Amino acid sequence: MLEIKNLHARIAESGVEIIRGLNLTVKAGEVAAIMGPNGSGKSTLSYILAGRPDYEVTEGEILYNGESILEMDPAERAAAGIFLAFQYPMEIPGVATMEFLKVAMNAQRKARGEEPLKIPELIKRVKEEAGLLSMDMAMLKRPLNVGFSGGEKKRAEILQMKLLQPNLCVLDETDSGLDIDALKIVSDGVNALRSPDRAIVVITHYQRLLEHIVPDSVHVLYKGQVIKSGDKSLAFELEENGYAGIIEEAA
Amino acid sequence: MPAVQDTIDRVRKIDVDQYKYGFETEIEMDKAPKGLSEDTIRFISKKKDEPQWMLEWRLEAFRRWLTLEEPTWARVNYPKIDFQDIYYYAAPKSTPGPTSLEEVDPELLKVYEKLGIPLKEQEILAGVQKPKAEADEFDEAGDNVYKSGRVAVDAVFDSVSVVTTFKKELAQAGVIFCSISEAIREHPELVKKYLGTVVPTTDNYYATLNSAVFTDGSFVFVPKGVRCPMELSTYFRINEKNTGQFERTLIICEDGAYVSYLEGCTAPQRDENQLHAAVVELVALDDAEIKYSTVQNWYPGDAQGKGGIYNFVTKRGDCRGKNSKISWTQVETGSAITWKYPSCILRGDNSRGEFYSIAVSNGYQQVDSGTKMLHLGKNTSSRIISKGIAAGFSQNTYRGQVSAHRKAENARNFTQCDSLLIGEDCGAHTVPYIEAKNSSAQFEHEATTSKISEDQLFYVMQRGIPQEEAIALIVNGFVKEVIQELPMEFAVEAQKLIGISLEGSVG
Amino acid sequence: MNMHATPQRTAAETALIDAFGERLSLLPGDGEVMVKRDDAIEALKAGLPTKRIESWHYTDLRRLLTSVPAHDGAVQAKAIAPLLEGSTVLSALNGATAGKLPSIEGVTVQSLAEKLTDGSFAPALDPYGFDDAIGALNTAFVADGYFVDIADGTEPETPLELQNVQAGGQTHMRFPVRVGTGAKATIVERQTGEGAALVSSVSQLVLGDDAEVLWLIVQEQPDTATHLAQFKAKLGKNSKLTLFLMNAGGKLVRQEIIVDAAGEGAVFTLRGINLLAGDTHTDVTMVLDHSVPHTSSTEVIRNVVTGKARGVFQGRINVAQYAQKTDAKMACNTLLLSDDGEFSAKPELEIFADDVQCGHGATVTEIDHNHLFYLMARGIDEKTARGLLVKAFVAEVIEELEVEPVVEALEALLDGWFQTHG
Repeated sequence: MLEIKNLHARIAESGVEIIRGLNLTVKAGEVAAIMGPNGSGKSTLSYILAGRPDYEVTEGEILYNGESILEMDPAERAAAGIFLAFQYPMEIPGVATMEFLKVAMNAQRKARGEEPLKIPELIKRVKEEAGLLSMDMAMLKRPLNVGFSGGEKKRAEILQMKLLQPNLCVLDETDSGLDIDALKIVSDGVNALRSPDRAIVVITHYQRLLEHIVPDSVHVLYKGQVIKSGDKSLAFELEENGYAGIIEEAA
Repeated sequence: MPAVQDTIDRVRKIDVDQYKYGFETEIEMDKAPKGLSEDTIRFISKKKDEPQWMLEWRLEAFRRWLTLEEPTWARVNYPKIDFQDIYYYAAPKSTPGPTSLEEVDPELLKVYEKLGIPLKEQEILAGVQKPKAEADEFDEAGDNVYKSGRVAVDAVFDSVSVVTTFKKELAQAGVIFCSISEAIREHPELVKKYLGTVVPTTDNYYATLNSAVFTDGSFVFVPKGVRCPMELSTYFRINEKNTGQFERTLIICEDGAYVSYLEGCTAPQRDENQLHAAVVELVALDDAEIKYSTVQNWYPGDAQGKGGIYNFVTKRGDCRGKNSKISWTQVETGSAITWKYPSCILRGDNSRGEFYSIAVSNGYQQVDSGTKMLHLGKNTSSRIISKGIAAGFSQNTYRGQVSAHRKAENARNFTQCDSLLIGEDCGAHTVPYIEAKNSSAQFEHEATTSKISEDQLFYVMQRGIPQEEAIALIVNGFVKEVIQELPMEFAVEAQKLIGISLEGSVG
Repeated sequence: MNMHATPQRTAAETALIDAFGERLSLLPGDGEVMVKRDDAIEALKAGLPTKRIESWHYTDLRRLLTSVPAHDGAVQAKAIAPLLEGSTVLSALNGATAGKLPSIEGVTVQSLAEKLTDGSFAPALDPYGFDDAIGALNTAFVADGYFVDIADGTEPETPLELQNVQAGGQTHMRFPVRVGTGAKATIVERQTGEGAALVSSVSQLVLGDDAEVLWLIVQEQPDTATHLAQFKAKLGKNSKLTLFLMNAGGKLVRQEIIVDAAGEGAVFTLRGINLLAGDTHTDVTMVLDHSVPHTSSTEVIRNVVTGKARGVFQGRINVAQYAQKTDAKMACNTLLLSDDGEFSAKPELEIFADDVQCGHGATVTEIDHNHLFYLMARGIDEKTARGLLVKAFVAEVIEELEVEPVVEALEALLDGWFQTHG
């Protein structure tokens, strides 16, 4: 589903290279975990996948279902089924969460040539999903993410993900700022989305999240490259011994 | 290059010629000769069959006007206006005063159709009440679903009120809603008592000019204790070439009365600049409340900034009685030049003034708008929420005065004034005047200027919302506080207008 | 359409024009300086600014300046003790530099009269924009002052104190200061005296790249004096200017602050306190230009108004089109403690760049009743409690300066004012 080949990318303004020859393949149905120390380029990778304009790809290729997405803008990528759950979701003052969900869902439907959702149908779906995430409907009337706690923001991200039904889910440090109960709820939400035709990329610093969302593969990112890949046991190994050993081994 | 750059380029290229309501209607006109003199004023007064006192009043204003100079303090630039090159009176010929819709020129009715304004004339004129929107629940969640209340329309087509509906029902409630010309003839005692008491003929250059030459406008009188049974609305429309529009509106709410008044404007496209200098006076007596809402989208000029309307308006409300309240809400998207400061004189003890404003400027538009809240009585309060959005090559200025006089004990004001810039060739300016002469006054003023953050834009686009729509969504969020103050039917039009005004970037 | 009759000159305008005729031959300056003086008096002949001039909206100088004292060379003014102990003091007494010029390593001090006489200062006499009445008045009459140059990379060991002490009559001084690249200095400007004088004083600071300056203006004129002052500064790349202003006297005071953040990375901080009492008028007007990208500024003005005092703060922040990434914040807070006093604020933003974060806030309030109640509930009587709260309101701004001797000295001044006026 996702194939990244020899990717090089830098910050557009400063020209600083962050991703330096990254290779990664994630198949449909797979849950891939990307781990790495701070500053290894994890968040940058998620932004580049979603098409954030602050970064420039200078070399390499990103194929999604066999086709390059590099020329697509963020909205086109989203409509094609790529979803990024942000580490720091943005606050949008004055735009009610419910209104935002409606606009986003219908924009994607429109891009795919589908009819807009009827309002009662929309409400029904939102209510169901919000209930599963223990979210209060009153919260959905508030402006998007404005005044939400860290945990509420993360839940709102997962709610959006479940409603938009993407094919490729990228979760950037979704566990940060969550207490154990919230972590469980959010993980259940993600697990519910596991399916043979969907891929999930979980970016995390700690192994903790991977106890709840068990990955099929684990990839260690360091200085903009995948330096080691393995199965879930690699995550435990990292938890035990830290990154130092693997970094040395790679060097 | 940040993504926003693309939007900026598009905004820069915005085709203001697409002006949605730019079409002309051909109806025979009856005009006064071009130019301004005592003769013109006598002509207007005679055409309108006015009493002698009204003519004298106009002439006095005209003589005063001759001694005044055009103000220059506002942050607007425009070529000098030749006041002798303007027609001061133009009336549709075939209208000796229709009593029902059938008598109205069908051309005029077509104009309404073409306007496609959300008022939905057919329904309203037929007295139809639209079924409530299907999903109230969703509405609560923040969507503005159109819910039609009942609205009475008094249309000013060029200069003369042509059609007035719902008159009977209003009359039953004791509400007078008619053109100002009719009021001068039919209710001279009321006009004499209140006209010029809020905006005196000596007030300012444009108001004085208006006093001399006003041709029409609305008159509303809500007697003691009456809550006006429907929202009153006037759709102004500038039509004939070179006709300055000089409406005069006077709204009076007696003790305990309430009225909500809607004003909306569209204008056809043309090359020459058109002058518009209206005066609106509101009087609220004890415990009365007046809510005045405006959506203004006059022709802003072409892509080079040529040909738009000059809008020099004096709007003022007098909270004359205790516990009275006046609330102004405006959405300004049109005109080449806007010079407009709807104000409140908070004279009565415990009176309250409100000003909610959205001003969108694009192309070469220049907006200098704001309010004055003059606290004179005890325990008076005021609230100002102003949202300015500047794009293209436009200049958008908020200018507002809040003052507490010596005796204005416990005066309270809160002002929030935010500006959003789209593109790097526009300007946003904030000029508040805060004046306190009473130690118990509490004034709070906050202002911010920023642009749409790229992080926000990226976030919204990541959810699959195309850039143009994403900007519209964020902008509509930015102005939400003000949109909420509008009556429902206006809220819908306002949101659409904001989209249209930023067209090219927000589709 | 109608004609404006040339307005009749006021007594003050006439007195100024007459004084110019009398003084001109005694004032220092070469031909070029004389031309500038002449231009300046021509500008004044058009009339002092009225409230119809936007930048003078709340200070109608033409109406407020009712009389102008004659120049009096005979009176004596005495130097005062410096604000900060150990400062190098440069005193200007009754309009002339006095005493021996100090010699400090890396610092060059000259009398301005010298630089006027040789004409080298002529270019710096140009007015600021339009309506520069204070600049014009000073240019026409300036007799002396100190010209200070702090060499690149130097950091004088002691603070430098510029004293302008009047003794009545007229005093017109200028204090141009250049702080070189990477240099650091603390400069105190004292404006005081004992007479019913008309004072004009202009400080001109040029800050080199990476330079850092803390400049304190302390104005304590008697309530008979008219004090018209200007502080102009131009900031180089990555330079830092912290300006502290305290107005605690004067009958008619206008302090203009004109700052150009002209170098990328420049940081400007303004902290001001206006302590207003009696039947006086005090106006602080700031114009701040952010003319290049990546500059930032914060301004906080705190005002306490008692008696029949009238206070004004006008602050305009201009952000040029090219000045992206500007970060500017301004706040003006007033405690209006008397029904006979008044305060007017006009915090303006003029913004032509889109990628900026700018904001301003202004409040006029009473003492917080909750705070008052809290203190009184702890057994403090109302008068004392009010005093404490008012002082805390302004002291906050001083404490932000963080340099201990400076904070202590300014708080001592504050105590003094509250003892006299509290």
